Amino acid sequence: MHEPSTIDRRKFLGALGVTVGGTGLAGAGLVAGPQLVKAATEPPKGKIPDTPYKTGHLTFLTGPAAVLGEPSLKGHTLAAEEINAQGGFLGKRKIETITADEAAGTDANVKELRRMKLEGKIDLFTGVISSGNSPALGPVSEELSLLSIFVDGCTDFLFDKAVPQPKYLFRITNIQSADGITSAIGAAQAWPQVRKIAHLHPDYAYGRNAAEHFTLAIERLLPGTQVVSESWPKLGTTDFTSHITKILSSNPDLLFTSVWGGDYVAWYKQALRYGLFGKMKVATTLAFGVAPHALGKDHPEGVLAGVHSNYHFTYPGGDRWPVNKDFVQRYYKRWNEYPNFQSEGAYVTLYMLKKAIERANQLIGGWPDDEVIISQLEGMGYDAPSGYLYIRPDNHQGYKDAVIGFSKNSAEYPFPTWDPDRIITIPIRNITAPPNWPKPGQGHNESTAAADWIKKTWPKAMG
Amino acid sequence: MSILIIQILNSLFYASVLFLIAAGLSLIFGVMRIVNMAHGTFYAVGAFTAAWLVARAVALGVPTIWTFLLIPLGAVVVALIGVVIEPLLLRPFYRRAEEYQLLVTFGLLLILEDVIRLVWGGLPLSADPVMDLLPSIHIGGLIYPGYNLVVITVGAVAALLLWAVIYRTKFGVMLRATSQDRRMASALGINVGLVYVAAFAIGCFMAGLGGAIIVPTQAAVLGMGIDALVLAFVVVVIGGLGSLQGALVGALIVSFVRTAGIQFFPEMELAVLYLIAAVVLLVKPTGLFGSV
Repeated sequence: MHEPSTIDRRKFLGALGVTVGGTGLAGAGLVAGPQLVKAATEPPKGKIPDTPYKTGHLTFLTGPAAVLGEPSLKGHTLAAEEINAQGGFLGKRKIETITADEAAGTDANVKELRRMKLEGKIDLFTGVISSGNSPALGPVSEELSLLSIFVDGCTDFLFDKAVPQPKYLFRITNIQSADGITSAIGAAQAWPQVRKIAHLHPDYAYGRNAAEHFTLAIERLLPGTQVVSESWPKLGTTDFTSHITKILSSNPDLLFTSVWGGDYVAWYKQALRYGLFGKMKVATTLAFGVAPHALGKDHPEGVLAGVHSNYHFTYPGGDRWPVNKDFVQRYYKRWNEYPNFQSEGAYVTLYMLKKAIERANQLIGGWPDDEVIISQLEGMGYDAPSGYLYIRPDNHQGYKDAVIGFSKNSAEYPFPTWDPDRIITIPIRNITAPPNWPKPGQGHNESTAAADWIKKTWPKAMG
Repeated sequence: MSILIIQILNSLFYASVLFLIAAGLSLIFGVMRIVNMAHGTFYAVGAFTAAWLVARAVALGVPTIWTFLLIPLGAVVVALIGVVIEPLLLRPFYRRAEEYQLLVTFGLLLILEDVIRLVWGGLPLSADPVMDLLPSIHIGGLIYPGYNLVVITVGAVAALLLWAVIYRTKFGVMLRATSQDRRMASALGINVGLVYVAAFAIGCFMAGLGGAIIVPTQAAVLGMGIDALVLAFVVVVIGGLGSLQGALVGALIVSFVRTAGIQFFPEMELAVLYLIAAVVLLVKPTGLFGSV
């Protein structure tokens, strides 16, 4: 057993790099914006074919998860339209997109991926939302030698176990374990007096992962807390009355929930009527993650409102990070709504690819092979609307600083957004296992590399 | 103690809505021998229609007290959809094998789910003003929304009315006669076609009402119909397909067991309902009140 050492909580949070108030973009700005523009103005080298660049975007077009799927496709479409307006990749190859519905189920998705490659002759496979689908699709992408950049499907399992050594496969959004850990840090930072914790999670991989990593982190940050209530509703449940009553009966100081989407909307409306928010603090992983405008102004203020630890369109706000301001404006103009983290991820996917293709072209001339494009994607840093995004070469996983905030109503938007003075950012390297940390099955049997890493290296806070 | 009272009320609330859905499903099966896979989606259409109507009315400045009347209107819309669908889509399939009926109603489910998304978009719709018309009541140190008591009452009244119609009116006699022997009923001068449309419309109305009265307490969300359909099947498996008492008892069993599961065995919440259904299927495959 690894007996954790102890440390003062404030120092601990400081060591984790937790920033409150969102003044700085930790890690961002390392690659200055103007460099990008310069790179883009270099004329392409060699002869570029003008055949279309075909992409396959698999996402939820029907069913409850369409609230996530639609923004993903909208972000992709906006980026494709912008790039095509400049002539396409390297000014020649226009992006063409075929879509498929992820709601068809995992087996059908795998078949669709094969069909897209063999019949549709796609050059890039992208999209993917469900963590249930990404571990099934990833190995097929590798088998087909098909360049694939998943927007989401964020389970740790994908690169921990399903595709431990990816070649053709990349993923943009932060890994799932970051969700629970980010919420735990946010809760410990804001409410160190919390002792009794209730849990409410959808009963599938995502909810289980969020609960496990939240608990691991909170045990180190706030030792002595105990779980007083657990609820595991089915994904897609809309009646939460009995869960809410149960939670109230256990008298917790804090409720942590990873319920999301329409379920979350149905949940908070019921919780309001049962007076839950007046009796405890509430921390979430995805309250603001689905669609910024899905919530009403009746949503209580002061809830730790997660965005899948990725992105909310109000942050980085104002003129501090023009990349975001521009993106939000263009997105709003095109779709008449605000982007969510899927929109941003899908948008960034195509732009990162564009940058990788341009660099590869500068290196070898002509249209670069996938191998060269991949070599440029590996280790790439990119100034995304959400901040600085880094693709780790060892596992092809995108990392950006985790962010979470507290719900607040403002006159500016017809839905709740974050209190700008209380936004919490955490450098991602401080809450994810470092490169080459043993994966599950390599000397440990934790559910994720992150879980093992926390257990072995995090100290315990005091005071 | 107050927790116990509220959990009982929660169970009755949930049972009311489950009964409205399952009773319609059972009625349609009892009369027409059709397992309507699209039934849960009718429930969702009722919810979306009611939520949309309430939001429109509030936007137009209609006093919130009147928005109450829009709730049954959501159910009426679903009944009208039923009146169109039964003769056009289902009637040609009564003489075919059951697989065709399952396929056609399942197809209807998929189409309606997409129609919902096309008409109302992907975002949740809510009808909060209706909910907030009624004050909360205090039970011990806890509060309980008064509107939920209305839902419980509506469920109870619907059960009574349906029973009265089926067992105490001439139409009920015709309905039962048609369900027992369609050709004999027809030979005796009953307009079977009309009875079918009426029965289907009543079944749809009940599902639509279930959706319409529950939407102010939560929200109309995509996929809610599928979830409801699965639960309604559990109810009728336990109670017996085609039986009104079965739907009532099944709804009560499902909701009380679910609440007990949530309160005492959270890890089992998903499994416990299917466990009961499995036991019933093993011991009495027709369900507690089924006779098929």
